[in-house]
Amino acid sequence: NGAAFSKVRGSQSGQDSTRWHVVRKFLSLISSHNIPVYLIDPLILGLVDKDIEQIRSSPDGPSPECKYFCVPRDFTTFALLDKTWKHEVGLFRTAEKMGFQWLKIINKDPRLDGMDDLSGMEIPLHYIFKLASHAIHLVVFYERSGNYLWHGPLRLKHHMDRKFVPFRKLHFGRYPGAYEKPELLHVSIDDLKVQIPKNPSSFLEQMSHSRFLECRYREARAFFQLYPDDASLDAVEFRIKAKSLLHLAALTLNNLGVKFWLSSGTCLGWYRQCNVIPHSKDVDLGIFIRDYKAEIIPAFQKAGLPLKHKFGKVEDSLELSFQGEDDVKLDIFFFYEEEDHIWNGGTQAKSGKKFKYFFPKFTLCWTEFVELKVHVPCETLQYVEANYGPDWKVPVKVWDWKSSPSNVQDNGVWPVNEWDDVIQIY
Amino acid sequence: MEEWKPSPAAKPHKKRSWYLAWKYKLMNQRALRKLCQTGAVLFLLVTVIVNIKLILDTRRAAYEEEEESAQDYDDEMLNVEVPRHPVNNKKVLDVEVYSSRSKVYVAVDGTTVLEDEAREQGRGIHVIVLNQATGHVMAKRVFDTYSPHEDEAMVLFLNMVARGRILIFTIKDEGSFHLKDTAKSVLKSLGSQVAPFLSWRDMWTFVGKKGGEVYGEKHAKSPALSTWGDPVLLKTEVHLTSVEDAECHWPDTELNRRRKRFCSKVEGYGSVCSCKDPTPIEFNPDPLKDNKVFDVPVAVIAGNRPNYLYRMLRSLLSAQGVNPQMITVFIDGYYEEPMDVVELFGLSGIQHTPISIKNARVSQHYKASLTATFNLFPDAKFAVVLEEDLDISVDFFSFLSQSIHLLEEDESLYCISAWNDQGYEHTAEDPSLLYRVETMPGLGWVLRKSLYKDELEPKWPTPEKLWDWDMWMRMPEQRKGRECIIPDISRSYHFGIVGLNMNGYFHEAYFKKHKFNTVPNVQLKNVESLRKDAYETEIHRLLGEAEVLDHSKNPCEDSFVPDTEGKVYVMFIRMEQEADFTTWTQLAKCLHIWDLDVRGNHKGLWRLFRKKNHFLVVGVPASPYSSKKPSSVTPIYMEPPAKEEGAVAVPAVAAAEQT
Repeated sequence: NGAAFSKVRGSQSGQDSTRWHVVRKFLSLISSHNIPVYLIDPLILGLVDKDIEQIRSSPDGPSPECKYFCVPRDFTTFALLDKTWKHEVGLFRTAEKMGFQWLKIINKDPRLDGMDDLSGMEIPLHYIFKLASHAIHLVVFYERSGNYLWHGPLRLKHHMDRKFVPFRKLHFGRYPGAYEKPELLHVSIDDLKVQIPKNPSSFLEQMSHSRFLECRYREARAFFQLYPDDASLDAVEFRIKAKSLLHLAALTLNNLGVKFWLSSGTCLGWYRQCNVIPHSKDVDLGIFIRDYKAEIIPAFQKAGLPLKHKFGKVEDSLELSFQGEDDVKLDIFFFYEEEDHIWNGGTQAKSGKKFKYFFPKFTLCWTEFVELKVHVPCETLQYVEANYGPDWKVPVKVWDWKSSPSNVQDNGVWPVNEWDDVIQIY
Repeated sequence: MEEWKPSPAAKPHKKRSWYLAWKYKLMNQRALRKLCQTGAVLFLLVTVIVNIKLILDTRRAAYEEEEESAQDYDDEMLNVEVPRHPVNNKKVLDVEVYSSRSKVYVAVDGTTVLEDEAREQGRGIHVIVLNQATGHVMAKRVFDTYSPHEDEAMVLFLNMVARGRILIFTIKDEGSFHLKDTAKSVLKSLGSQVAPFLSWRDMWTFVGKKGGEVYGEKHAKSPALSTWGDPVLLKTEVHLTSVEDAECHWPDTELNRRRKRFCSKVEGYGSVCSCKDPTPIEFNPDPLKDNKVFDVPVAVIAGNRPNYLYRMLRSLLSAQGVNPQMITVFIDGYYEEPMDVVELFGLSGIQHTPISIKNARVSQHYKASLTATFNLFPDAKFAVVLEEDLDISVDFFSFLSQSIHLLEEDESLYCISAWNDQGYEHTAEDPSLLYRVETMPGLGWVLRKSLYKDELEPKWPTPEKLWDWDMWMRMPEQRKGRECIIPDISRSYHFGIVGLNMNGYFHEAYFKKHKFNTVPNVQLKNVESLRKDAYETEIHRLLGEAEVLDHSKNPCEDSFVPDTEGKVYVMFIRMEQEADFTTWTQLAKCLHIWDLDVRGNHKGLWRLFRKKNHFLVVGVPASPYSSKKPSSVTPIYMEPPAKEEGAVAVPAVAAAEQT
């Protein structure tokens, strides 16, 4: 039935039905092993998204033409949630019998990477099933702490066939990626029954900035070799508080849809030691001023974090500070983008002095920190070096935010008549 | 320096004059100093260069992965896989076996596979099993047949070894004192001519194929009781067979492929490797209806006791409602054989580099395992924690499935444990009954993720603190007055005899007679009454209906409890304050239950069974339930024995004192 359809449609429209056939075979392979994959091919999802209303309304309807799977491409990309299948060898035997050649890319398990001295088994990150001139790229997603899905990078080992498929053209695998857990939808497109993300456009939007940075566990271990961790009760308790404050802040900002990243000491802690720096005494976040929302302050207050001080204004050097539990403070710095740099401001309450902190331009990546999926600057090293200078690797207990940072510059004084507005202390 | 530069054109015949020149120059002090200096500088230079190169290489390896390869999709890390055992085409193995008072060793083709010259250990008969096709060591055991019952263990082991394997025996120190006739005849059946006559302090080595030829045997008689036989060294050759001959011909399935891999590597697991009728390695127990713990990860904490692990996993995988995908075995150390066992059952295993020593090592292993478990299963709210020396009851998951909601909803709970410290054959009766206790029994328990992540993990004792993890968890700072739910009849059975804090005597005294549930699908009774407040109501009801026992009698005697069934009895013991367990400990001793520390109490109340009657013990006046004591009853006081003597404590309360 399906074959007849494709023959007719394929030949009529002059499109490539090879892809449709390979996808169909692949889908029958995985359904025979009860493996629930879903379509994440960005090109197809892009097409699907345009017709999403129609597809949703008639999930089983026959297709008048082969619109999606007949666009000639080298690959079609599917996702597999690791926990939904049992790594059966049988799948590959069946695949071979059906004429597929397959390739498995494994690597170490990042969920264990952060832990000293554990060696788990390597886990599959990508599969490629090739038949005729078309290949299925199956990306394996793993659930990680912080309620998100992660996929690994695709790296070939030496013995692997580099020409198995044109790897560079793959849509997934250049970097690891982090995604929200998608809601799925059963649909029939081009007479093939597949699952797709319920909201393809949201998935595609996530995909465009999904790049994930793993914490530098190896370097963090080396750091702790040099500077043994503070195991005092104070340190333990500060970390617990900082973690819960960060979780609360993330929840509040995510609910508002405000993008934020780890900044200053919190970012340094992540980058240098994959943990909260116990003597830092506060939690620092960065937000682009273009993402500022007036609801931020009331939202934090509602979450039980009263405003401690507000320096500057939206147009200039805005900085908010909220009071967490037991003296742990949440500092939010707003960042202003210029042509060739990014900066944020500081204000000294008693003198009205202004300071400016310069950063090279950066983009945002996902990472996992204290069981939270959060943003950090992708160009973390430059960011940290701008802030803490070339000796950022050496812990410093005494830190003066007005003079210690290597990127600080005096920025004049607030006019006295503005003080009531730009220096608010509660 | 120039003086010492060898001419690149130097001819071989110049060597001699070179040497002479050297000798001459060496006598010249200045030159010598210069030579040393030059040498030192050269050495330093080389070291520096090598080090720099090393650092650069490491860095490159570290960063290329992320940076360059991000463009190239190449993994620059060299992933050279060295085969663990080189392929050997040789058909003959040279075997050397040495037996003496203080040292034994076995070498196969020049490789030492056993060497034991440690003092005060390794006494008895050492046995090594080799694969007859590859020559690989498949098992290594030592049976201290100087001591009783070890010969039985050896017979058991030898019976489990597959026909055709090569067996190597050697005695260290003494191996005959408790080597009984059964064992001797087994050795004889293997082809040993000496075994039947082995006697005190004889030295002996033997190499043979199970069910086949003998490759050699040597023996040195001890000339007198006070001396040992002379050391013996046996050198022999063993002819290898083909791999096909050494393997069973099971049907080619995925399961059998795993079995084959396992059986060609290790020995001593009995019928799992039987060619004719191998025992299954997949169990498919009945699924549980409405299984609330299907998605709860199970962490199996293991060390290097692969036979225990094998037994444990068999029982775990046979329990109804088990979900093998949720099981992870954490092995403390890079041991191969436990990993082989894990792979045999198709489970996942993680190895952990040991940190610290003894109890602290176990404690660090626990922490790493728990953290890893919640990393691997980030959605989990709980984890089941098991150890490698536990049998798991067939209704283990059913028991948890029926009770786990309490752990989620009742914040006054610390854990659910499958083990009742006081649940012995003679003190546990009702498989459907649960208790609340202030102690944490461990030995198969459920941990709440929030408890671990928010409280325990951040404060977990660091390696330099040589603490037991379980003792630490029992400390008031951690437990904070919370309780655990336990069954009357345990859902786990502690079979481990060899262990860090364990020996045969200890096991026999405290663990062997523990009751273990074997009934499937037990419907738990009144689970809701285990909630904090409901439990108090329940206890008051129980105490209300309980018959007060005759306090003039000796509570240690059987007659203390009437010959009835199904009744509820209560007795009152003296307990001055919350931490006064003087009488309880004596009572526990004479009842032959756990008395090494206080277990199983709830607000000064203990619940157990005697003669199939529910038996309640209330500590007066510390327990809030003291009010239930009739004024006419004087709480029983039992004095601790004055010295080590006094196995049976005598109640100090005389009948006359009661008014």
